[in-house]
Amino acid sequence: MANRAVPQRPNGQTPGKICQFKLVLLGESSVGKSSLVLRFVKGQFHEYQESTIGAAFLTQTIHLNDVAVKFEIWDTAGQERYHSLAPMYYRGAQAAIVVYDITNQDTFERAKNWVKELQRQATPGIVIALAGNKLDLNTMRSVQTDESQTYAYENGLMFMETSAKTSANVTEIFKAIAEKLPKNENTNTAGQGRRLVDSAEGSNKSLSSCCK
Amino acid sequence: MTCNCVDAPVPPLFGVQTLFAAQHTSESCGANGLPLTPNSITILGRAQKLRTLNHPNLVLHLDFIRKQHGRIILVSQYFKRSLWTETNNYLLLLPLEKVLSWTHRVLDALTYLNSNGVVHRFLTPQYILFDDEDNVKLFNYGLYYMTNSGKNITFPIGKLKYTAPEVLVLDRDSYKSGPKTDSWSLGIIVLELLLGAQLWPTLKLSQIIRKILSLTHCTDVVMRLAREMGRLTMYQSLPDELKDFLGKCICMDVKKRLCPKELFHHKIFSAYEYSKILMNKCYSCKHPLRQMKLDQVYYLWKLAGGDVEWALKKKGLLRNESPILLLPRLIILEGTLYGNTRNQSSLLDLQIVELPLDLLVNRLQHLKITDYDPLIDQVNKQNDTTEKLPLVIREKDTEYQFRRIILFDRLLAAFPFKLDKLLIEAKKDIPPFFRGEVWACLLNVCGDTESIYMSIDKETAGVTDRQIEVDIPRCHQYNDLLSSSVAHKKLKRVLKAWLVSHPKYVYWQGLDSLCAPFVYLNFCKEHVSYACLTAFVKKYLNDVFLKDNAAVIREYLIKLSHLIAFHDPQLANHLDEKGFIPDLFAIPWFLTMFSHVFPLHKIFHLWDKLLLGDSSYPLFVGLSILTQLRSTLLNSGFNECILLFSDLPEVDIEKCVLESSKFNDATPRSITFRKYELRTETREYDPCLMYEVLQNEFSPRISIYDLVELKSSSLKFLVLDTRPQEFYIEKSIPGSLNIHVREEDLVDENFDLAPCPELSALVNNRGSILIVVDNVFELNKVRSFCRFLVKKEYPKVCSLHGGIEALENFNILVPAIMY
Ligand SMILES: Nc1nc2c(ncn2[C@@H]2O[C@H](COP(=O)(O)OP(=O)(O)O)[C@@H](O)[C@H]2O)c(=O)[nH]1
Ligand SMILES: [Mg+2]
Repeated sequence: MANRAVPQRPNGQTPGKICQFKLVLLGESSVGKSSLVLRFVKGQFHEYQESTIGAAFLTQTIHLNDVAVKFEIWDTAGQERYHSLAPMYYRGAQAAIVVYDITNQDTFERAKNWVKELQRQATPGIVIALAGNKLDLNTMRSVQTDESQTYAYENGLMFMETSAKTSANVTEIFKAIAEKLPKNENTNTAGQGRRLVDSAEGSNKSLSSCCK
Repeated sequence: MTCNCVDAPVPPLFGVQTLFAAQHTSESCGANGLPLTPNSITILGRAQKLRTLNHPNLVLHLDFIRKQHGRIILVSQYFKRSLWTETNNYLLLLPLEKVLSWTHRVLDALTYLNSNGVVHRFLTPQYILFDDEDNVKLFNYGLYYMTNSGKNITFPIGKLKYTAPEVLVLDRDSYKSGPKTDSWSLGIIVLELLLGAQLWPTLKLSQIIRKILSLTHCTDVVMRLAREMGRLTMYQSLPDELKDFLGKCICMDVKKRLCPKELFHHKIFSAYEYSKILMNKCYSCKHPLRQMKLDQVYYLWKLAGGDVEWALKKKGLLRNESPILLLPRLIILEGTLYGNTRNQSSLLDLQIVELPLDLLVNRLQHLKITDYDPLIDQVNKQNDTTEKLPLVIREKDTEYQFRRIILFDRLLAAFPFKLDKLLIEAKKDIPPFFRGEVWACLLNVCGDTESIYMSIDKETAGVTDRQIEVDIPRCHQYNDLLSSSVAHKKLKRVLKAWLVSHPKYVYWQGLDSLCAPFVYLNFCKEHVSYACLTAFVKKYLNDVFLKDNAAVIREYLIKLSHLIAFHDPQLANHLDEKGFIPDLFAIPWFLTMFSHVFPLHKIFHLWDKLLLGDSSYPLFVGLSILTQLRSTLLNSGFNECILLFSDLPEVDIEKCVLESSKFNDATPRSITFRKYELRTETREYDPCLMYEVLQNEFSPRISIYDLVELKSSSLKFLVLDTRPQEFYIEKSIPGSLNIHVREEDLVDENFDLAPCPELSALVNNRGSILIVVDNVFELNKVRSFCRFLVKKEYPKVCSLHGGIEALENFNILVPAIMY
């Protein structure tokens, strides 16, 4: 299965650097978080993607030059009620994608709240990307690109409009995040047993230690 | 009186028709961005209601099948004799009484349909059928209703000659035919009957249309029609009341035309004594299958290998065009297709294919007449070897299901009497045919749930409407029925009704999944779905849907951890070491009782057993899923473990329920005691603990009550008394083993028990329930010792809640000398 693949090495070359990052997806329900992950990890799209309860975990590795970047992705439940679970997933994360649905203004407002919460409570220096999803429904758009662009710029976020359905900008956004994440030390072994930290432990881990 | 005889022939009882739903033009999507639901699914959803219609003068609808390319197959009760055949195509002039009697029956049936929001719209002499006893049975009355007044199909409904004029002139998309269209059709039929002639037998369609429209200008429409039929004098000789009746049916002005209900009370029907007409009673022997309910027979026929599609194919009704002919000629970039339109004439085939029942009759041939009507208490006295076969095979076995249906039919009718018997039988298995009803009984749904449900406001907008609306189109949508718009509406209503009637609770994502099996199984009985959901949540998910449910969920999850430690210490140690806590994977399990995790057919088998268990049973299900995956889990690190649950591999449900029952039987009740479960009473020594306490314990606690009960049960157990020997000798539980440990020793990671007779006894009792007891203030020591035992992979470790002190009140303790 693609998502369980051991990070691949560029063939024949000496094993390159392998970096592992914990990434969390946040956003109102039904904006397409699970769909983005499914597109990124398995290259699939389901019209009737089931809702996510609690959270789901998937991994995917991409290659940047000679670095293999392995994402450990936590896809969370969108409903506000599940909010209390969210910190368990974003704590210790080095990257987050906050998703909204370009056809629904409310989901954009909700995204802003997530950004605020992350900036306040997540790992300092966390890389946050804002994704305006369902780009294929451009005709029904209600959140204008300028608006989000400006917001993202003012808040130091990366920003892209994506479509899990057509796969527009899906790999791109993960790639852009991977490029922005610091890749300092070198290691050949993929991390095993990375835990979800649900206490203060690890929440202040400096980002430079993300490569093991 | 008719007699029953297993050798009597069984005529075909079912008729099949097929039609095509309209196809959506291009890949358009709805307002929610999702693709439009295929019309065939919409039809399927609407059609379900027709199965609930039951009137002595209507045939029963039995099945609606959806096939590729929008094909729908309808199965309903069918009789060969119709008004058309009975009158020898109207050549036969019938006595007035008979005509009136039939007409009255048709009106009764139409009135019933109208009161259920259904208009026939396809009334012709061919669709007025007669059963063996000459009872009128209306046929094909569902077409207009299930296609949403013809909106989901592209062909017109109705036979032109009998079609009311307004139907021809008004726009098909905006105009919905009301009950009075049927009055017109019936009027024409009765007129033809009375005059013994056909109206416009040789005219072409266009001519007929012109004729009907030309009636607009005429003062006495009925007389004009009679003249057209060449029977004017005959018409004029009809009794005035009859002419009046016809005039109230065949009336151009819809406002003046009477509806079936009004016609039913027309004075013509009191003027004649037609009720005394001798019915053609059938005295011949009948096969006992014909005493069974028709839907049961149909179900069994399918089990016996009956195949509706095959029957259609055999009659040449499923002509498949070669695929190349179906290719579009032109596809423009945004997706619209041109040139692949279906042949209009194939959209609705009016032919009705009968389903021969030979297969079923042969399969049940060796059954005796008493098998059809057994005494409940004697059922299953005989050894049925089928009972031991795997569930999936039993569910497909015609004879076995026949017996189950016969039995459950009686048990359900008796409910709530015979509940004990119902439980015993349900424990063996639940016949899929009756699953919805049996579940309702197991959940103790009774009383007037319908009016309770009716009285709940399901329409007023609520705060969680948006959430419900985005969740429903993602809920078990692989299932045709649940993906229909009717199903979406039902799910929403049931959920809203539940929320409104439980103000303490809120909508949590997942509640939709939980609701889906009930809606599916009680599709036409929303109130039962609602009552089942209510009872289910109360029993298994008490307080889980509180706005702040953290405490409830956390307790649930920690109990699962305890249970793993209790039954599978090796797995517990591994998961603990990897930090793989149930919070990471089991929330959707318990929040939805696995309904979000498994597809419907698996949920059915799982809940069949779950519903027989108590509120802790789901924990055992969780445990048995884990043990099914244990070898993979034991060889996996954190990431692999998590991935395993993100994409749950095939779980063998039959094995899972078997295992969970075993676990359940091997576990004293207090081990899974939860503070938040619904119970009638909590006794003083039940382990009712705060989460903060539970969290610090790796193994569960057992109550004194269970300890006392264990003495007289078949479960093996051993009490480990960890106090210093002097206290043990002074006073202890008879039969307990004294293994004195000190708290400070247990801190050492390498701590082990020194060899001694007690240790040998412990080793020899591996597998028994091990109950650790000490003074109540030695809580930490007890915890550490339990953890030590689990590390050593001793199964069934627990500690006695309340410690040795609690036992003082139970008169159990004795000086060790005495035994
Ligand atoms: N048209 C369109 N629909 C999408 C897109 N992404 C997701 N969806 C649909 O939106 C719904 C919700 O998606 P899901 O991934 O479950 O959202 P989540 O609740 O945020 O995880 C599903 O029906 C998806 O098929 C997209 O890019 N375009
Ligand atoms: Mg999701």
